[in-house]
Amino acid sequence: MRIVVFVKPVPEAETRLRPSADGARLDTDGVKWVLSGYDESAIEQALLLKEANAGSEVRAVTYGPSPRSEEVLRACLALGCTSAGWVEAPADLPPDVRLKVRALRQAAVRWPADLYLLGQQSLDTESGLLPLALAMALGVPGANGALDLAFDAARNELSFERSSEAGVEEWRLPSPSVIGLKQAKNDPRSAKLQNILKSRKMPIDRIPAVELPAAPEVTGNANRFRFELPPPRTGARLIEYAAPDEAAEKLVRVLREEAKVFP
Amino acid sequence: MPDFSLTEEQSSLREMARKFARTEMAPKAAECDRTPRFPEEVYRKAWELGLMNLNVPAEYGGSGLSALDQCLIVEELAYGCAGMTTSIIANCLALEPILLGGTEEQKRRFLPPFCAEYHLASFCLTEPAGGSDAGAISTRAKRHGDGYRLTGEKCFITNAPHASLYTVFATVDPELRHKGISAFVVPRSAPGVTPGKDEEKMGHRASSTSTVRFEEVEVPPSDRLGAEGDGFPIAMRTLDQTRTPIGALATGIAQAALDHAAAYSLKRHTFGKPISEHQAIQVKLADMATRVQASRLLTWSAAARIDRGEPGTLDSSIAKTFASDAAFAVADDAIQIHGGYGYMKEYPVEKLLRDAKLTQIYEGSNEIQRIVIARELLKRYA
Repeated sequence: MRIVVFVKPVPEAETRLRPSADGARLDTDGVKWVLSGYDESAIEQALLLKEANAGSEVRAVTYGPSPRSEEVLRACLALGCTSAGWVEAPADLPPDVRLKVRALRQAAVRWPADLYLLGQQSLDTESGLLPLALAMALGVPGANGALDLAFDAARNELSFERSSEAGVEEWRLPSPSVIGLKQAKNDPRSAKLQNILKSRKMPIDRIPAVELPAAPEVTGNANRFRFELPPPRTGARLIEYAAPDEAAEKLVRVLREEAKVFP
Repeated sequence: MPDFSLTEEQSSLREMARKFARTEMAPKAAECDRTPRFPEEVYRKAWELGLMNLNVPAEYGGSGLSALDQCLIVEELAYGCAGMTTSIIANCLALEPILLGGTEEQKRRFLPPFCAEYHLASFCLTEPAGGSDAGAISTRAKRHGDGYRLTGEKCFITNAPHASLYTVFATVDPELRHKGISAFVVPRSAPGVTPGKDEEKMGHRASSTSTVRFEEVEVPPSDRLGAEGDGFPIAMRTLDQTRTPIGALATGIAQAALDHAAAYSLKRHTFGKPISEHQAIQVKLADMATRVQASRLLTWSAAARIDRGEPGTLDSSIAKTFASDAAFAVADDAIQIHGGYGYMKEYPVEKLLRDAKLTQIYEGSNEIQRIVIARELLKRYA
């Protein structure tokens, strides 16, 4: 089974985010880039499928600038992916799903697979558009929000569950398909030290930006023009008290008279 | 190395160890310290990820890391919990005599099982009547047929109750002092081997430490490392290799203490402002940061020298002594910055002081290190 997993570098959760000088985007200086959480699950899922289907290959692919792209691809190789592909992009790439689909489509043509797997959404922009947009671009079936994927080689069929408020759905899709994953059966594994060392010596196949077809015209509403951090939290207030019932009384008074949460 | 920057490979190793320390070790550190508990699940996971047996070459299934790479990893692990780190790196100490003194056949026999499966080994040098005075070892190796019978007691042996293999130093004749000592590999399953009960320790409480008794333990000649009488140089060369990582371990404790203290100083207010704005606190933080930085650089430089194949005794002794004294001082300052809270077990800094203390004592006390430093130093003036 050939699996391509599309992954995206996102800022590490502990990174201190700052807007850029023009206020239009995130200042990426000093940001540490890591594999997006849903993508970690997608890699785990791909590796589980590889282990269940002898002779399988898992290729991690990303679209983006250097060096963050190589870094997350090396992380995927260290986890057990058998190869890596990098569609190069300039650092000031606008966050537009059409540009991304154009690039990843090129990758899917270069590296055909039985399954194109993604995290259901990234942890930074959280738009969740890519799985279905990519399925449309490739002209294959697509689904998002999948849980615990399995592959039936005899029937050439992918099966998974989706949970909704109405209950659990069981899905079967013919291969190849594009699937956005919510969660694998396992928690994502950690890379072994020896594999980290090996991954440093593995090649990363590149598709240079110039090999991509012409960019679709990006119209105004697709441009994010402002990036703001949430307002800083206002100061908490400490209720001073001698006994617990005094604290309760004071708290109720504040909630009723100032916050007006009680009539 | 002269520009003190790390390669991408080194950065990724460090990153991996950091993640392991902060997600697998740190959350359990307080509980394992208080109970105390030997968190075998953490050690098994460390083994699975290749964080044990760092010094065993790849041809025997280990990670085969350079001294510098080992230091990068050990510092990060110690940041999470120094006690767990001691148990994780104890295999390196126990297996190093085999790497240094073993024949190819012995290496092939003893090392791969540790890399193929989770097993612990212990380095048995120290005895109740003497640690630093290793020449005064009294555990006897009496010749018996082709082989030996070992009798005696070792103490303060890391991981001993959980180990499946011991590297043991014993003398064929105490009168010969250093020259009578030989090194042996003894499986835990050998009749007459008895580890004692876990010691109750001041720090490193997630680690396990006990005595090991040997009573007429039969050792075939094929399990002796090197020639008869090679034991003392094997032990000393082992400690030359493992001393530098102790400097890194101490640096990890010190970095944790600095991080806790600096973060606390920004939150804690006295006299209407954060205590970080009081110069008395700033001076402390500056001295702490200076010590941490110096410890790290001394450790890296000693490790780099060992990796170049140059004699590392002087540099590793300097690094271990400085970094462990620094870790104690920095942990002390961290408690002082926390004030009364720092003295409470609810806060993490008092544990750091207890953990730092051991780094001044084990793998050659700092007093012995200073003798070594002076001796190596004076050679250059003689």
